[in-house]
Amino acid sequence: MSPAIQSYAATLLVYLGVNAIACWGLNLQFGIGGVMNFAFILYQAMGAYITAVLTLPAATTQADQRYILGLHLPWPLPLAGAAVSGAALALAVGSFALRPRRRDFQATVMLVVSIIAATLVTTEQGWFNGNQGLFGIPQPFAGTLSLGITGYDWFFVAVTLGLALLTLAFTGLLTSAPWARRLRAMRENAEAAESLGVHVRAESLKVYVTGGAIAAVSGGLLVEFIGAWSPAAWGTGETFIFFVAIIIGGLGNNFGAFFGAFLVLGVFLELPTYLPQLSDANVEESLQSAAIGVLILAFLWWRPQGIFPERKRNLSRAIPAGARAVAVAEAAGTVPDSRNEQPRQREPDSHAAAAGTLSVRDLSRGFGGVQAVDGLSFDLAPGQVTGLIGPNGAGKSTALKLIAGAIAPSSGKVLVDGVNVAGWPAHKVARLGVIRTFQHTSEFGRLTVLENLLTAAPGQPGDSFGGALLGRRHARARQQELLARAWALLADFQLTAAADSYAGQLSGGQRRLVEIMRALMAQPRILLLDEPMAGVNPALRLVIEEHLQRLRDGGLTMLMVEHELGSVERVCDSVIVMAQGRVLATGTMAELRRNEEVLSAYLAG
Amino acid sequence: MSQVVLSLGFGLVTASILALGAVGFTLQFGVTNLFNLAFGENMTVAAFVAYLARVSLHWNMWLAVAAGALSGAVLSLLIGRLIYQPFLRRGTSQFAMVMVTVAVSFILKNVLQIFSGATFYSYQLPPESPIRFLGMVFDARQLTIIALAVVSLLGLHLLFRYTRIGKAMRATSDNGELARSVGIPTDRIISATWLLSGLLAGLAGVALAIDLGSFASTTGGSYLLLIVAAAVFGSVGEPYGAVLGALVIGIASEVAANYNPQLKDVVAFAILVLVLLVRPEGLRGGRVQLRGEVTV
Repeated sequence: MSPAIQSYAATLLVYLGVNAIACWGLNLQFGIGGVMNFAFILYQAMGAYITAVLTLPAATTQADQRYILGLHLPWPLPLAGAAVSGAALALAVGSFALRPRRRDFQATVMLVVSIIAATLVTTEQGWFNGNQGLFGIPQPFAGTLSLGITGYDWFFVAVTLGLALLTLAFTGLLTSAPWARRLRAMRENAEAAESLGVHVRAESLKVYVTGGAIAAVSGGLLVEFIGAWSPAAWGTGETFIFFVAIIIGGLGNNFGAFFGAFLVLGVFLELPTYLPQLSDANVEESLQSAAIGVLILAFLWWRPQGIFPERKRNLSRAIPAGARAVAVAEAAGTVPDSRNEQPRQREPDSHAAAAGTLSVRDLSRGFGGVQAVDGLSFDLAPGQVTGLIGPNGAGKSTALKLIAGAIAPSSGKVLVDGVNVAGWPAHKVARLGVIRTFQHTSEFGRLTVLENLLTAAPGQPGDSFGGALLGRRHARARQQELLARAWALLADFQLTAAADSYAGQLSGGQRRLVEIMRALMAQPRILLLDEPMAGVNPALRLVIEEHLQRLRDGGLTMLMVEHELGSVERVCDSVIVMAQGRVLATGTMAELRRNEEVLSAYLAG
Repeated sequence: MSQVVLSLGFGLVTASILALGAVGFTLQFGVTNLFNLAFGENMTVAAFVAYLARVSLHWNMWLAVAAGALSGAVLSLLIGRLIYQPFLRRGTSQFAMVMVTVAVSFILKNVLQIFSGATFYSYQLPPESPIRFLGMVFDARQLTIIALAVVSLLGLHLLFRYTRIGKAMRATSDNGELARSVGIPTDRIISATWLLSGLLAGLAGVALAIDLGSFASTTGGSYLLLIVAAAVFGSVGEPYGAVLGALVIGIASEVAANYNPQLKDVVAFAILVLVLLVRPEGLRGGRVQLRGEVTV
């Protein structure tokens, strides 16, 4: 090969490596964690600038460029500095940009930040030489190695390959840990993850910071290769190219992200060089950008999971066949046929540690002039099932959300075992053992049923960022234990066949069961059920009722909002009737049926 | 001091354009639950249509404005019906929907660019003599923009207040969950929302082009973030909040521009960031938060 072609090939390989590193960073943030980093290019730029000013010698007054620092550090310190600066910037931006709950709001705030930053960098001449940017950045070891131009290019390819492999190993470690399961759960349904004790904002911030550091390294590597960097190199539009790459390659899949980097950033953007020239360069670029828009639409419509979708984890294979068989036999031998009216023979089901007590005092919350919950007070009998019924709009679901911390009350107390948790965030309330299920099914769709269950289990080594770094072996023993428990639950609910199916592909009734099992994996002391029978067929309803009764016998305190009064009558020990945000009556269903006020509230409602 | 009063006048003009855009953006979000990042391109298309009407066809400027606004409405309806709604009906996730709107914005912007090139266009309106008012200086065109915004917003207010379709829109925007549970957001209301928000985008786009004096294929897209800032400031989905946001952001950015023109946008965005730090869901946050939960 001629030196020119070699040089060209080496350049393409370095670009591919740099883009792959960047895509793995974005995949961690967006593909795994669901954080839409619309400021992505800013982190690459930050890494490039910091690497440049850490590599360059101090700027002299006579020099034709002005910049900060100029520390002239030896390799690889500038790259390390880039990683730190990327992380620090992500920490600063994430601390406010991740505050809104909706991902699309977060994305917009990040886009705004990216644009402000570009404006500032362009205007502030003294930071990174303003609009002209930095140039003449020495390449690592260029002075000490005498390889010739082509030789040096291949040397840089090797450096890039090394860093890419390092990044791959690092992101692989993170994505295979229980922590990533929690992140994926958060990506699927942030509110449900929060209700199971995941601190969504904190975890989002961690994944944002990690991805920011990786993006910065990719930028640093790039600037070391090309030796110059200016605002023209990081237009806001570039962020979307990276998004397109990982969406097409495959979200949540490191190979997919790599393939996307190759296909979109390599082939697609490089291709026009080989095609006959169109009229002028501007038109060509516009056509290319418009084509990218069409590509996004086409993929989101026909293949939303990308070319290489997220790998499915068949966790049931990790459970020894013997253990599986035992659990199924146990469940089959003891569960009575739900259709005949035999008395329950099973031992009580004790997923709970100890029955919790819950008292609500003068709880209130309004929305835009409507008092949804208005001075609500009641006590739950520990170890019993209490029904919460009332006409539509009575405030039942709002009450449940207030207790669970999903929304903050404007006044009043929620006492869990005597501790006032009113105003606590949902994840904190969940960690006290108050777990709620949702009115609309809230399964983590792109997680298997077993993964859904495992996500909820507290106290797993490796379910934090730090734990994830310790590797899979560290988490294995506990994972086996949890898998066995999850399998027993599945056997109990006769869903073992679906263990490795994506939860989003199950029927409505089955998804309900997944949600209830998931709540039980969290070892609740108080279980809040928001219409568990909604959308469930009568046969399955009986199964759920039977389980709730057994859970009660095992000492679990439950509060159940339900419209299906037959179920309420069969399951609940006592019933609270709500109307217009407050308690209208309490008693057994039989008593309530004789209560004129209750009857008229229902008729009026 | 007189400089500040002077920039207050510019602020009012900017606020008027922002209000038109932000109310349209927020209304669309409130009813369809879509955070539409292609809204800016809707503005640009309208500005170009008005240009064709005015400069190529020699229409009267008022007619050109109307043509621009109408084209905005039609484009918005078409994209809503043909692209967004099919995706939404499939249950496409929130983040995928944002990417869909980004894709639409890419396509519109670049198709415009292919036809318009990198050149800037102007309506070639004759120069106007300044009018002084309370220490502020306007020209007739700027006053027209303010009047246009005031009349449009008053009209919207009446629509929300007194017509069935307006009330239904506002109810949906206020509390999507409740409205959906009683079956309000019918196809007709969603279509009406696409039209109305597109109309507002069109008006905002033409007004922006008039105010700037010249425009290009990227004009609306880069203005969108100011509109989003105004909408988020007043809580997205809240038309009245959006007007407030437009006033605050419009005036603050023009006053800042008085000191350093480069900082105009930075100040607007700094306000946005501050609001988010204090009230993550915007100033009138409660309702949006509720909807946020439903749609997760």
